[in-house]
Amino acid sequence: MSDSEHEYSENENDAIYDDEETALEMAALESSAMIERPAKEFINHKAALSALLEEISQKSLKWIHRCDVVSTQPIVVEKADNDLDRELKFYQQGLEAAILGKQEVLNAGVPFERPSDYFAEMVKSDSHMARIRQKLLDQQKGIQNAEEAKKQRELRKYGKKIQHEKLKEREDQKKVALDKIATIKKRLRSGDMGDADDFDIDVDSEGDDKKSKFNRGAKAKGGRPQPNKKRQNKNEKFGYGGKKRGIKNNTSDSAADMSSFSVKRNKSTNFSAPSKKSRVQRPGKAKRQRTH
Amino acid sequence: MATLYKTAQSEYMDVDELIDEKERQSNIKHRVLMVASRGSTYRHRHLLNDLEMLLPHSKKEAKIEAKKDMDLLNEMAEIQGCNNVFYFETRKHTDLYLWISRAPSGPSVKFQVQNLHTMDELKMTGNCLKGSRPILSFDANFETEPHLQLLKEILTQTFGVPKGARKSKPFFDHVFTFSIVDGRIWFRNYQIAEKDAETGGDLGRNDKPTLIEIGPRFVLNTIRIFEGSFGGPTLYENPDFVSPNVIRANLRKSRAVKHVDRINSAKEKEIRTAENPLPKDPLNDVFD
Repeated sequence: MSDSEHEYSENENDAIYDDEETALEMAALESSAMIERPAKEFINHKAALSALLEEISQKSLKWIHRCDVVSTQPIVVEKADNDLDRELKFYQQGLEAAILGKQEVLNAGVPFERPSDYFAEMVKSDSHMARIRQKLLDQQKGIQNAEEAKKQRELRKYGKKIQHEKLKEREDQKKVALDKIATIKKRLRSGDMGDADDFDIDVDSEGDDKKSKFNRGAKAKGGRPQPNKKRQNKNEKFGYGGKKRGIKNNTSDSAADMSSFSVKRNKSTNFSAPSKKSRVQRPGKAKRQRTH
Repeated sequence: MATLYKTAQSEYMDVDELIDEKERQSNIKHRVLMVASRGSTYRHRHLLNDLEMLLPHSKKEAKIEAKKDMDLLNEMAEIQGCNNVFYFETRKHTDLYLWISRAPSGPSVKFQVQNLHTMDELKMTGNCLKGSRPILSFDANFETEPHLQLLKEILTQTFGVPKGARKSKPFFDHVFTFSIVDGRIWFRNYQIAEKDAETGGDLGRNDKPTLIEIGPRFVLNTIRIFEGSFGGPTLYENPDFVSPNVIRANLRKSRAVKHVDRINSAKEKEIRTAENPLPKDPLNDVFD
Protein backbone atom coordinates (compact mmCIF):
# COMPACT_ATOMS: atom_id res chain seq x y z
CA MET A 1 0.00 0.00 0.00
CA SER A 2 2.61 2.52 1.09
CA ASP A 3 4.75 1.47 -1.85
CA SER A 4 2.12 2.27 -4.38
CA GLU A 5 1.51 5.59 -2.73
CA HIS A 6 5.14 6.46 -3.00
CA GLU A 7 5.07 5.56 -6.65
CA TYR A 8 2.10 7.76 -7.27
CA SER A 9 3.70 10.78 -5.72
CA GLU A 10 6.79 10.27 -7.83
CA ASN A 11 4.71 10.06 -10.93
CA GLU A 12 2.97 13.21 -10.00
CA ASN A 13 6.24 15.03 -9.62
CA ASP A 14 7.32 13.82 -13.02
CA ALA A 15 4.09 14.85 -14.64
CA ILE A 16 4.27 18.34 -13.33
CA TYR A 17 7.89 19.20 -13.57
CA ASP A 18 9.00 17.44 -16.67
CA ASP A 19 7.27 20.10 -18.66
CA GLU A 20 9.58 22.96 -17.86
CA GLU A 21 7.49 25.54 -19.60
CA THR A 22 4.42 24.73 -17.60
CA ALA A 23 6.37 24.93 -14.40
CA LEU A 24 7.72 28.34 -15.30
CA GLU A 25 4.27 29.52 -16.13
CA MET A 26 2.95 28.37 -12.80
CA ALA A 27 5.77 30.09 -10.98
CA ALA A 28 5.18 33.31 -12.81
CA LEU A 29 1.50 33.24 -12.01
CA GLU A 30 2.07 32.55 -8.35
CA SER A 31 4.67 35.26 -7.99
CA SER A 32 2.54 37.88 -9.68
CA ALA A 33 -0.31 37.10 -7.36
CA MET A 34 1.90 37.23 -4.30
CA ILE A 35 3.89 40.37 -4.90
CA GLU A 36 1.91 43.44 -3.95
CA ARG A 37 3.22 46.45 -5.72
CA PRO A 38 3.61 49.46 -3.46
CA ALA A 39 0.98 52.12 -4.13
CA LYS A 40 2.42 54.60 -6.57
CA GLU A 41 2.74 58.20 -5.53
CA PHE A 42 1.18 60.50 -8.05
CA ILE A 43 2.71 63.88 -8.55
CA ASN A 44 0.54 66.91 -8.05
CA HIS A 45 2.48 70.09 -7.28
CA LYS A 46 -0.38 72.40 -6.63
CA ALA A 47 1.75 75.40 -5.74
CA ALA A 48 3.88 75.04 -8.84
CA LEU A 49 0.79 74.66 -11.01
CA SER A 50 -0.74 77.81 -9.56
CA ALA A 51 2.50 79.72 -10.07
CA LEU A 52 2.69 78.53 -13.64
CA LEU A 53 -0.87 79.59 -14.21
CA GLU A 54 -0.04 83.07 -12.97
CA GLU A 55 2.90 83.16 -15.31
CA ILE A 56 1.04 82.27 -18.48
CA SER A 57 -2.29 83.78 -17.55
CA GLN A 58 -3.80 86.35 -19.86
CA LYS A 59 -6.63 87.22 -17.55
CA SER A 60 -5.81 90.93 -17.87
CA LEU A 61 -6.89 90.82 -21.48
CA LYS A 62 -10.32 92.08 -22.39
CA TRP A 63 -12.98 89.45 -22.77
CA ILE A 64 -13.24 89.90 -26.49
CA HIS A 65 -9.71 88.56 -26.88
CA ARG A 66 -10.33 85.50 -24.78
CA CYS A 67 -13.97 84.63 -25.42
CA ASP A 68 -14.17 82.19 -22.52
CA VAL A 69 -17.30 81.60 -20.50
CA VAL A 70 -17.42 79.52 -17.37
CA SER A 71 -20.71 77.82 -16.63
CA THR A 72 -22.57 78.84 -13.49
CA GLN A 73 -23.34 75.25 -12.56
CA PRO A 74 -20.74 72.50 -12.59
CA ILE A 75 -21.71 69.54 -14.72
CA VAL A 76 -22.77 66.54 -12.71
CA VAL A 77 -23.46 63.37 -14.62
CA GLU A 78 -24.30 60.30 -12.62
CA LYS A 79 -23.18 57.87 -15.24
CA ALA A 80 -20.87 58.89 -18.03
CA ASP A 81 -22.31 56.06 -20.12
CA ASN A 82 -25.74 57.67 -20.17
CA ASP A 83 -25.44 59.37 -23.54
CA LEU A 84 -28.69 61.28 -23.46
CA ASP A 85 -28.19 62.79 -20.03
CA ARG A 86 -24.60 63.67 -20.71
CA GLU A 87 -25.25 65.31 -24.07
CA LEU A 88 -28.13 67.27 -22.60
CA LYS A 89 -25.84 68.67 -19.92
CA PHE A 90 -23.28 69.62 -22.54
CA TYR A 91 -25.98 71.30 -24.58
CA GLN A 92 -27.19 73.28 -21.61
CA GLN A 93 -23.66 74.38 -20.84
CA GLY A 94 -23.13 75.45 -24.44
CA LEU A 95 -26.44 77.29 -24.59
CA GLU A 96 -25.69 79.24 -21.44
CA ALA A 97 -22.30 80.18 -22.82
CA ALA A 98 -23.83 81.22 -26.15
CA ILE A 99 -26.27 83.57 -24.43
CA LEU A 100 -23.70 85.06 -22.05
CA GLY A 101 -21.13 85.25 -24.81
CA LYS A 102 -23.45 87.14 -27.11
CA GLN A 103 -23.99 89.74 -24.45
CA GLU A 104 -20.28 90.14 -23.88
CA VAL A 105 -19.60 90.41 -27.59
CA LEU A 106 -22.25 93.06 -28.06
CA ASN A 107 -20.95 94.93 -25.00
CA ALA A 108 -17.53 95.06 -26.61
CA GLY A 109 -19.07 96.66 -29.66
CA VAL A 110 -18.26 93.79 -32.00
CA PRO A 111 -20.83 92.26 -34.34
CA PHE A 112 -22.03 88.88 -33.20
CA GLU A 113 -23.97 87.52 -36.12
CA ARG A 114 -22.77 87.78 -39.65
CA PRO A 115 -24.94 89.94 -41.90
CA SER A 116 -27.51 88.01 -43.90
CA ASP A 117 -25.82 88.93 -47.17
CA TYR A 118 -22.42 87.79 -46.01
CA PHE A 119 -21.52 84.61 -47.80
CA ALA A 120 -18.30 82.79 -47.26
CA GLU A 121 -16.89 79.31 -47.20
CA MET A 122 -18.39 77.08 -44.54
CA VAL A 123 -16.69 74.43 -42.50
CA LYS A 124 -18.78 71.73 -44.12
CA SER A 125 -19.00 71.91 -47.87
CA ASP A 126 -22.29 71.92 -49.74
CA SER A 127 -21.72 68.37 -50.90
CA HIS A 128 -21.10 67.29 -47.32
CA MET A 129 -24.32 68.95 -46.15
CA ALA A 130 -26.19 67.37 -49.06
CA ARG A 131 -24.89 63.99 -47.95
CA ILE A 132 -26.10 64.62 -44.43
CA ARG A 133 -29.51 65.71 -45.69
CA GLN A 134 -29.73 62.64 -47.90
CA LYS A 135 -28.87 60.47 -44.96
CA LEU A 136 -31.59 62.05 -42.86
CA LEU A 137 -34.12 61.63 -45.65
CA ASP A 138 -33.14 58.03 -46.11
CA GLN A 139 -33.55 57.44 -42.43
CA GLN A 140 -37.01 58.94 -42.45
CA LYS A 141 -37.95 56.96 -45.50
CA GLY A 142 -36.73 53.80 -43.87
CA ILE A 143 -38.87 54.44 -40.84
CA GLN A 144 -41.91 55.16 -42.98
CA ASN A 145 -41.39 52.05 -45.06
CA ALA A 146 -41.03 49.92 -41.97
CA GLU A 147 -44.24 51.31 -40.55
CA GLU A 148 -46.13 50.73 -43.75
CA ALA A 149 -44.88 47.18 -44.02
CA LYS A 150 -46.01 46.57 -40.46
CA LYS A 151 -49.45 47.92 -41.25
CA GLN A 152 -49.69 45.78 -44.37
CA ARG A 153 -48.73 42.71 -42.42
CA GLU A 154 -51.47 43.39 -39.89
CA LEU A 155 -53.98 44.01 -42.64
CA ARG A 156 -53.09 40.80 -44.40
CA LYS A 157 -53.57 38.87 -41.20
CA TYR A 158 -56.91 40.52 -40.64
CA GLY A 159 -57.93 40.48 -44.30
CA LYS A 160 -57.71 36.72 -44.52
CA LYS A 161 -60.21 36.41 -41.74
CA ILE A 162 -62.57 38.81 -43.45
CA GLN A 163 -62.33 36.96 -46.74
CA HIS A 164 -63.09 33.67 -45.08
CA GLU A 165 -66.15 35.10 -43.39
CA LYS A 166 -67.42 36.65 -46.59
CA LEU A 167 -67.18 33.38 -48.48
CA LYS A 168 -69.03 31.62 -45.73
CA GLU A 169 -71.72 34.24 -45.74
CA ARG A 170 -72.19 33.98 -49.49
CA GLU A 171 -72.51 30.20 -49.26
CA ASP A 172 -75.11 30.51 -46.54
CA GLN A 173 -77.09 32.98 -48.59
CA LYS A 174 -77.06 30.66 -51.55
CA LYS A 175 -78.18 27.77 -49.43
CA VAL A 176 -81.07 29.74 -48.00
CA ALA A 177 -82.17 30.87 -51.46
CA LEU A 178 -82.03 27.34 -52.86
CA ASP A 179 -84.04 26.03 -49.94
CA LYS A 180 -86.68 28.61 -50.54
CA ILE A 181 -86.93 27.77 -54.21
CA ALA A 182 -87.17 24.09 -53.43
CA THR A 183 -90.02 24.63 -50.99
CA ILE A 184 -91.91 26.80 -53.45
CA LYS A 185 -91.46 24.23 -56.18
CA LYS A 186 -92.74 21.56 -53.89
CA ARG A 187 -95.77 23.62 -53.08
CA LEU A 188 -96.51 24.26 -56.76
CA ARG A 189 -96.23 20.62 -57.61
CA SER A 190 -98.70 19.73 -54.93
CA GLY A 191 -101.10 22.21 -56.63
CA ASP A 192 -101.42 24.39 -53.67
CA MET A 193 -101.20 27.85 -55.23
CA GLY A 194 -102.93 29.87 -52.59
CA ASP A 195 -102.80 33.53 -51.78
CA ALA A 196 -100.42 32.64 -49.04
CA ASP A 197 -97.65 32.50 -51.59
CA ASP A 198 -95.28 35.27 -50.71
CA PHE A 199 -93.43 35.12 -53.98
CA ASP A 200 -95.57 36.10 -56.89
CA ILE A 201 -93.25 34.65 -59.45
CA ASP A 202 -93.62 32.07 -62.14
CA VAL A 203 -91.02 29.70 -60.89
CA ASP A 204 -90.87 27.49 -63.95
CA SER A 205 -90.50 30.31 -66.39
CA GLU A 206 -87.74 31.64 -64.24
CA GLY A 207 -85.95 28.35 -64.57
CA ASP A 208 -86.39 28.46 -68.34
CA ASP A 209 -84.94 31.89 -68.51
CA LYS A 210 -81.93 30.62 -66.67
CA LYS A 211 -81.47 27.78 -69.11
CA SER A 212 -81.88 29.93 -72.18
CA LYS A 213 -79.11 32.10 -70.85
CA PHE A 214 -76.70 29.25 -71.28
CA ASN A 215 -77.70 28.25 -74.81
CA ARG A 216 -78.71 31.21 -76.81
CA GLY A 217 -80.36 30.75 -80.22
CA ALA A 218 -82.76 28.21 -81.56
CA LYS A 219 -82.96 24.68 -80.27
CA ALA A 220 -81.66 22.03 -82.57
CA LYS A 221 -83.82 19.10 -83.52
CA GLY A 222 -84.34 16.44 -80.90
CA GLY A 223 -84.42 19.05 -78.20
CA ARG A 224 -80.66 19.17 -78.08
CA PRO A 225 -79.25 22.62 -77.37
CA GLN A 226 -77.19 24.07 -80.15
CA PRO A 227 -73.55 24.62 -79.27
CA ASN A 228 -71.99 28.03 -79.46
CA LYS A 229 -70.43 29.51 -82.57
CA LYS A 230 -66.89 28.59 -81.72
CA ARG A 231 -67.82 25.03 -80.99
CA GLN A 232 -69.78 24.88 -84.19
CA ASN A 233 -66.80 26.03 -86.22
CA LYS A 234 -64.55 23.58 -84.50
CA ASN A 235 -67.01 20.81 -85.11
CA GLU A 236 -67.07 21.75 -88.73
CA LYS A 237 -63.32 21.76 -88.96
CA PHE A 238 -62.42 18.71 -86.95
CA GLY A 239 -65.62 16.77 -87.31
CA TYR A 240 -68.31 16.09 -84.80
CA GLY A 241 -70.83 13.36 -85.23
CA GLY A 242 -71.17 11.27 -88.35
CA LYS A 243 -68.60 9.13 -90.06
CA LYS A 244 -64.99 9.84 -89.13
CA ARG A 245 -63.48 7.51 -91.71
CA GLY A 246 -61.57 9.07 -94.54
CA ILE A 247 -62.24 12.54 -93.42
CA LYS A 248 -58.58 13.35 -92.85
CA ASN A 249 -57.23 11.57 -95.91
CA ASN A 250 -55.82 13.56 -98.77
CA THR A 251 -57.94 13.82 -101.85
CA SER A 252 -57.03 15.07 -105.28
CA ASP A 253 -58.58 18.38 -104.39
CA SER A 254 -56.71 18.79 -101.15
CA ALA A 255 -53.45 17.82 -102.84
CA ALA A 256 -53.95 20.46 -105.48
CA ASP A 257 -54.83 23.09 -102.93
CA MET A 258 -51.95 25.54 -102.75
CA SER A 259 -53.70 28.19 -100.70
CA SER A 260 -51.66 27.52 -97.61
CA PHE A 261 -48.33 27.66 -99.46
CA SER A 262 -46.22 30.64 -98.56
CA VAL A 263 -43.59 31.66 -101.06
CA LYS A 264 -41.91 33.91 -98.65
CA ARG A 265 -41.46 31.30 -96.04
CA ASN A 266 -40.13 28.69 -98.42
CA LYS A 267 -37.89 31.03 -100.33
CA SER A 268 -34.17 30.66 -99.78
CA THR A 269 -31.54 32.86 -101.29
CA ASN A 270 -29.12 30.08 -101.93
CA PHE A 271 -30.16 26.55 -102.72
CA SER A 272 -26.87 25.11 -101.53
CA ALA A 273 -26.48 24.52 -97.81
CA PRO A 274 -25.43 27.61 -95.90
CA SER A 275 -21.66 27.73 -95.37
CA LYS A 276 -20.44 26.89 -91.92
CA LYS A 277 -18.40 30.03 -91.51
CA SER A 278 -21.22 32.43 -92.16
CA ARG A 279 -23.30 30.99 -89.38
CA VAL A 280 -22.84 32.59 -86.00
CA GLN A 281 -21.02 29.98 -84.08
CA ARG A 282 -20.81 29.48 -80.38
CA PRO A 283 -17.30 30.40 -79.31
CA GLY A 284 -15.01 27.71 -77.96
CA LYS A 285 -14.89 26.81 -74.32
CA ALA A 286 -11.61 28.56 -73.61
CA LYS A 287 -12.88 31.72 -75.20
CA ARG A 288 -16.13 31.61 -73.30
CA GLN A 289 -14.35 31.12 -70.00
CA ARG A 290 -12.03 33.96 -70.78
CA THR A 291 -14.87 36.38 -71.25
CA HIS A 292 -16.86 35.39 -68.21
CA MET B 1 1.94 106.30 -32.50
CA ALA B 2 0.83 109.74 -33.49
CA THR B 3 -2.55 108.51 -34.61
CA LEU B 4 -2.89 106.54 -31.44
CA TYR B 5 -2.20 109.65 -29.48
CA LYS B 6 -4.78 111.54 -31.46
CA THR B 7 -7.51 108.97 -30.98
CA ALA B 8 -6.75 108.80 -27.32
CA GLN B 9 -6.95 112.53 -26.95
CA SER B 10 -10.17 112.70 -28.90
CA GLU B 11 -11.80 110.16 -26.63
CA TYR B 12 -10.35 111.61 -23.44
CA MET B 13 -8.64 108.39 -22.57
CA ASP B 14 -5.46 107.84 -20.70
CA VAL B 15 -2.77 107.62 -23.36
CA ASP B 16 -0.58 105.26 -21.41
CA GLU B 17 -3.45 102.90 -20.88
CA LEU B 18 -4.25 102.86 -24.54
CA ILE B 19 -0.67 102.21 -25.53
CA ASP B 20 -0.49 99.44 -22.96
CA GLU B 21 -3.61 97.89 -24.35
CA LYS B 22 -2.29 98.06 -27.90
CA GLU B 23 0.97 96.48 -26.90
CA ARG B 24 -0.74 93.71 -25.07
CA GLN B 25 -2.90 93.03 -28.07
CA SER B 26 0.09 92.90 -30.34
CA ASN B 27 1.62 90.38 -27.96
CA ILE B 28 -1.16 87.88 -28.30
CA LYS B 29 -0.37 86.39 -31.59
CA HIS B 30 -1.40 82.87 -30.81
CA ARG B 31 -0.56 80.58 -33.61
CA VAL B 32 -0.96 76.85 -33.32
CA LEU B 33 1.27 74.40 -35.10
CA MET B 34 -0.48 71.12 -35.87
CA VAL B 35 1.68 68.11 -36.42
CA ALA B 36 0.87 64.45 -36.62
CA SER B 37 3.29 61.64 -36.03
CA ARG B 38 3.91 58.94 -38.57
CA GLY B 39 1.64 55.93 -38.38
CA SER B 40 -1.54 57.86 -37.77
CA THR B 41 -4.71 56.41 -39.19
CA TYR B 42 -7.30 58.14 -41.34
CA ARG B 43 -9.44 59.04 -38.34
CA HIS B 44 -6.59 60.76 -36.60
CA ARG B 45 -5.77 62.58 -39.81
CA HIS B 46 -9.39 63.64 -40.23
CA LEU B 47 -9.51 64.97 -36.68
CA LEU B 48 -6.40 67.01 -37.37
CA ASN B 49 -7.97 68.36 -40.57
CA ASP B 50 -11.19 69.21 -38.72
CA LEU B 51 -9.32 71.13 -36.05
CA GLU B 52 -7.25 72.91 -38.63
CA MET B 53 -10.44 73.96 -40.38
CA LEU B 54 -12.01 75.19 -37.14
CA LEU B 55 -8.95 77.05 -35.93
CA PRO B 56 -7.90 79.60 -38.55
CA HIS B 57 -4.84 80.55 -36.53
CA SER B 58 -3.37 77.09 -36.96
CA LYS B 59 -0.67 75.93 -39.26
CA LYS B 60 -0.49 72.36 -40.42
CA GLU B 61 2.85 70.70 -40.88
CA ALA B 62 3.93 67.48 -42.52
CA LYS B 63 4.00 64.34 -40.43
CA ILE B 64 7.11 63.85 -38.41
CA GLU B 65 8.77 61.10 -36.46
CA ALA B 66 9.59 62.56 -33.07
CA LYS B 67 9.57 59.56 -30.83
CA LYS B 68 12.89 60.35 -29.22
CA ASP B 69 13.64 63.89 -30.12
CA MET B 70 10.70 65.98 -29.02
CA ASP B 71 12.84 69.11 -29.17
CA LEU B 72 12.39 68.96 -32.90
CA LEU B 73 8.83 70.16 -32.40
CA ASN B 74 9.99 73.25 -30.55
CA GLU B 75 12.31 74.06 -33.39
CA MET B 76 9.55 73.59 -35.90
CA ALA B 77 7.28 75.90 -33.94
CA GLU B 78 9.99 78.52 -33.87
CA ILE B 79 10.54 78.26 -37.60
CA GLN B 80 6.82 78.55 -38.28
CA GLY B 81 6.40 81.37 -35.81
CA CYS B 82 3.96 79.45 -33.67
CA ASN B 83 3.77 79.66 -29.90
CA ASN B 84 1.49 76.65 -29.43
CA VAL B 85 1.89 73.15 -30.70
CA PHE B 86 -0.67 70.39 -31.12
CA TYR B 87 1.22 67.18 -31.62
CA PHE B 88 -0.94 64.19 -32.47
CA GLU B 89 1.07 61.16 -31.55
CA THR B 90 -0.13 57.78 -32.71
CA ARG B 91 1.11 54.62 -31.08
CA LYS B 92 0.58 51.17 -32.53
CA HIS B 93 -1.70 52.61 -35.18
CA THR B 94 -4.50 52.66 -32.62
CA ASP B 95 -3.89 54.93 -29.65
CA LEU B 96 -3.91 58.65 -30.20
CA TYR B 97 -2.16 60.99 -27.81
CA LEU B 98 -2.38 64.73 -28.04
CA TRP B 99 0.38 66.95 -26.79
CA ILE B 100 -0.59 70.56 -26.28
CA SER B 101 2.46 72.65 -25.61
CA ARG B 102 3.34 76.28 -25.30
CA ALA B 103 6.57 76.41 -27.19
CA PRO B 104 9.32 77.06 -26.41
CA SER B 105 9.16 77.52 -22.64
CA GLY B 106 6.21 75.35 -21.60
CA PRO B 107 4.10 74.17 -19.98
CA SER B 108 2.94 71.17 -21.97
CA VAL B 109 0.20 68.61 -21.44
CA LYS B 110 -0.12 65.11 -22.70
CA PHE B 111 -3.61 63.78 -23.25
CA GLN B 112 -4.98 60.54 -24.49
CA VAL B 113 -7.69 61.12 -27.09
CA GLN B 114 -10.65 58.83 -26.62
CA ASN B 115 -14.14 58.47 -28.07
CA LEU B 116 -13.00 60.15 -31.20
CA HIS B 117 -15.52 61.01 -33.92
CA THR B 118 -14.60 63.29 -36.75
CA MET B 119 -16.86 65.78 -38.48
CA ASP B 120 -17.05 63.56 -41.51
CA GLU B 121 -18.35 60.47 -39.80
CA LEU B 122 -20.84 62.25 -37.60
CA LYS B 123 -24.03 63.08 -39.41
CA MET B 124 -24.49 66.36 -37.62
CA THR B 125 -26.63 68.97 -39.30
CA GLY B 126 -24.84 71.99 -37.87
CA ASN B 127 -22.49 74.11 -39.91
CA CYS B 128 -20.54 77.27 -39.35
CA LEU B 129 -18.44 79.79 -41.17
CA LYS B 130 -14.91 78.74 -41.88
CA GLY B 131 -12.75 80.96 -39.76
CA SER B 132 -15.42 82.45 -37.52
CA ARG B 133 -14.46 82.84 -33.89
CA PRO B 134 -15.77 80.40 -31.29
CA ILE B 135 -17.09 81.11 -27.82
CA LEU B 136 -15.26 78.86 -25.40
CA SER B 137 -17.54 77.37 -22.82
CA PHE B 138 -15.95 75.81 -19.76
CA ASP B 139 -17.55 73.69 -17.12
CA ALA B 140 -17.45 75.23 -13.64
CA ASN B 141 -15.48 72.16 -12.55
CA PHE B 142 -12.46 73.70 -14.24
CA GLU B 143 -12.14 76.19 -11.41
CA THR B 144 -11.84 73.58 -8.68
CA GLU B 145 -8.28 72.27 -8.99
CA PRO B 146 -5.01 74.05 -9.86
CA HIS B 147 -4.21 71.63 -12.66
CA LEU B 148 -7.68 72.11 -14.16
CA GLN B 149 -7.28 75.87 -13.97
CA LEU B 150 -4.01 75.56 -15.82
CA LEU B 151 -5.63 73.31 -18.41
CA LYS B 152 -8.41 75.84 -18.87
CA GLU B 153 -5.90 78.60 -19.49
CA ILE B 154 -3.99 76.46 -21.99
CA LEU B 155 -7.17 75.44 -23.81
CA THR B 156 -8.37 79.05 -23.91
CA GLN B 157 -5.14 80.17 -25.46
CA THR B 158 -5.03 77.41 -28.04
CA PHE B 159 -8.67 76.88 -29.00
CA GLY B 160 -9.64 80.53 -28.81
CA VAL B 161 -9.23 82.32 -32.11
CA PRO B 162 -7.47 85.62 -31.44
CA LYS B 163 -9.28 88.74 -32.52
CA GLY B 164 -8.20 89.77 -35.95
CA ALA B 165 -6.27 86.57 -36.63
CA ARG B 166 -5.31 85.94 -40.22
CA LYS B 167 -8.00 84.11 -42.21
CA SER B 168 -10.48 84.56 -39.36
CA LYS B 169 -13.87 86.21 -39.72
CA PRO B 170 -15.01 88.69 -37.07
CA PHE B 171 -18.28 86.86 -36.26
CA PHE B 172 -19.35 84.35 -33.66
CA ASP B 173 -21.46 81.46 -34.77
CA HIS B 174 -20.26 78.47 -32.80
CA VAL B 175 -19.44 77.34 -29.27
CA PHE B 176 -16.72 74.98 -28.17
CA THR B 177 -17.73 73.32 -24.93
CA PHE B 178 -15.21 71.75 -22.59
CA SER B 179 -16.81 69.76 -19.80
CA ILE B 180 -15.38 67.54 -17.15
CA VAL B 181 -17.17 64.25 -16.79
CA ASP B 182 -15.62 61.13 -15.38
CA GLY B 183 -12.34 63.00 -14.82
CA ARG B 184 -11.91 63.65 -18.51
CA ILE B 185 -12.38 66.67 -20.69
CA TRP B 186 -15.19 66.25 -23.23
CA PHE B 187 -15.14 68.44 -26.29
CA ARG B 188 -18.21 69.39 -28.32
CA ASN B 189 -18.74 71.94 -31.05
CA TYR B 190 -22.15 73.56 -31.54
CA GLN B 191 -23.49 76.00 -34.05
CA ILE B 192 -25.46 78.91 -32.57
CA ALA B 193 -28.63 79.12 -34.61
CA GLU B 194 -30.16 82.56 -34.20
CA LYS B 195 -33.13 81.56 -36.30
CA ASP B 196 -36.35 80.05 -35.16
CA ALA B 197 -36.01 76.31 -35.62
CA GLU B 198 -39.54 75.86 -36.96
CA THR B 199 -40.39 78.97 -38.93
CA GLY B 200 -36.88 79.99 -39.98
CA GLY B 201 -37.67 83.57 -39.02
CA ASP B 202 -35.67 85.83 -36.78
CA LEU B 203 -35.73 85.30 -33.05
CA GLY B 204 -37.57 87.59 -30.72
CA ARG B 205 -35.79 89.59 -28.06
CA ASN B 206 -36.25 87.09 -25.31
CA ASP B 207 -36.08 83.88 -27.27
CA LYS B 208 -33.13 81.63 -26.64
CA PRO B 209 -31.02 80.61 -29.59
CA THR B 210 -30.77 76.92 -30.39
CA LEU B 211 -27.60 74.92 -30.67
CA ILE B 212 -26.94 72.43 -33.43
CA GLU B 213 -23.96 70.19 -33.10
CA ILE B 214 -21.34 70.41 -35.80
CA GLY B 215 -18.66 67.96 -34.62
CA PRO B 216 -16.05 66.67 -34.14
CA ARG B 217 -16.34 64.96 -30.78
CA PHE B 218 -13.52 63.75 -28.65
CA VAL B 219 -12.54 63.19 -25.06
CA LEU B 220 -9.20 64.25 -23.63
CA ASN B 221 -7.86 62.19 -20.79
CA THR B 222 -5.05 64.04 -19.09
CA ILE B 223 -1.96 61.95 -18.52
CA ARG B 224 0.67 64.44 -17.35
CA ILE B 225 1.42 68.11 -17.19
CA PHE B 226 5.04 69.05 -17.74
CA GLU B 227 6.72 72.27 -16.80
CA GLY B 228 8.71 72.55 -20.00
CA SER B 229 7.67 72.27 -23.59
CA PHE B 230 7.63 68.59 -24.49
CA GLY B 231 9.56 67.64 -21.40
CA GLY B 232 10.86 68.96 -18.13
CA PRO B 233 9.73 68.06 -14.65
CA THR B 234 6.26 66.65 -14.18
CA LEU B 235 3.89 68.90 -12.27
CA TYR B 236 0.83 66.73 -12.38
CA GLU B 237 0.12 63.10 -13.00
CA ASN B 238 -3.38 61.74 -13.43
CA PRO B 239 -3.86 58.94 -10.89
CA ASP B 240 -6.89 57.60 -12.76
CA PHE B 241 -5.15 57.24 -16.06
CA VAL B 242 -4.70 53.66 -17.19
CA SER B 243 -2.57 53.11 -20.22
CA PRO B 244 -4.41 51.45 -23.10
CA ASN B 245 -1.56 48.97 -23.23
CA VAL B 246 -2.36 47.83 -19.70
CA ILE B 247 -6.04 47.54 -20.55
CA ARG B 248 -5.27 45.40 -23.55
CA ALA B 249 -2.82 43.26 -21.56
CA ASN B 250 -5.42 42.66 -18.87
CA LEU B 251 -7.92 41.65 -21.49
CA ARG B 252 -5.48 39.18 -22.92
CA LYS B 253 -4.64 37.90 -19.45
CA SER B 254 -8.27 37.31 -18.64
CA ARG B 255 -8.50 35.20 -21.77
CA ALA B 256 -5.42 33.26 -20.70
CA VAL B 257 -7.10 32.34 -17.41
CA LYS B 258 -8.89 29.52 -19.16
CA HIS B 259 -5.62 27.82 -20.01
CA VAL B 260 -4.23 28.28 -16.51
CA ASP B 261 -7.40 26.82 -15.02
CA ARG B 262 -6.98 23.73 -17.10
CA ILE B 263 -3.42 23.23 -15.92
CA ASN B 264 -4.43 23.76 -12.31
CA SER B 265 -7.25 21.26 -12.48
CA ALA B 266 -4.94 18.66 -14.04
CA LYS B 267 -2.51 19.17 -11.22
CA GLU B 268 -5.23 18.87 -8.61
CA LYS B 269 -6.51 15.70 -10.15
CA GLU B 270 -3.10 14.05 -9.96
CA ILE B 271 -2.80 14.98 -6.31
CA ARG B 272 -6.29 13.67 -5.62
CA THR B 273 -5.62 10.33 -7.27
CA ALA B 274 -2.34 10.02 -5.41
CA GLU B 275 -3.99 10.65 -2.07
CA ASN B 276 -6.87 8.25 -2.62
CA PRO B 277 -5.55 5.13 -4.32
CA LEU B 278 -8.01 2.37 -5.14
CA PRO B 279 -8.16 -0.42 -2.45
CA LYS B 280 -6.71 -3.74 -3.57
CA ASP B 281 -9.40 -6.13 -4.69
CA PRO B 282 -9.04 -9.47 -2.71
CA LEU B 283 -10.77 -11.42 -5.47
CA ASN B 284 -8.42 -10.18 -8.10
CA ASP B 285 -6.08 -13.19 -8.01
CA VAL B 286 -8.53 -15.98 -7.17
CA PHE B 287 -8.05 -17.79 -10.48
CA ASP B 288 -4.29 -17.31 -10.72
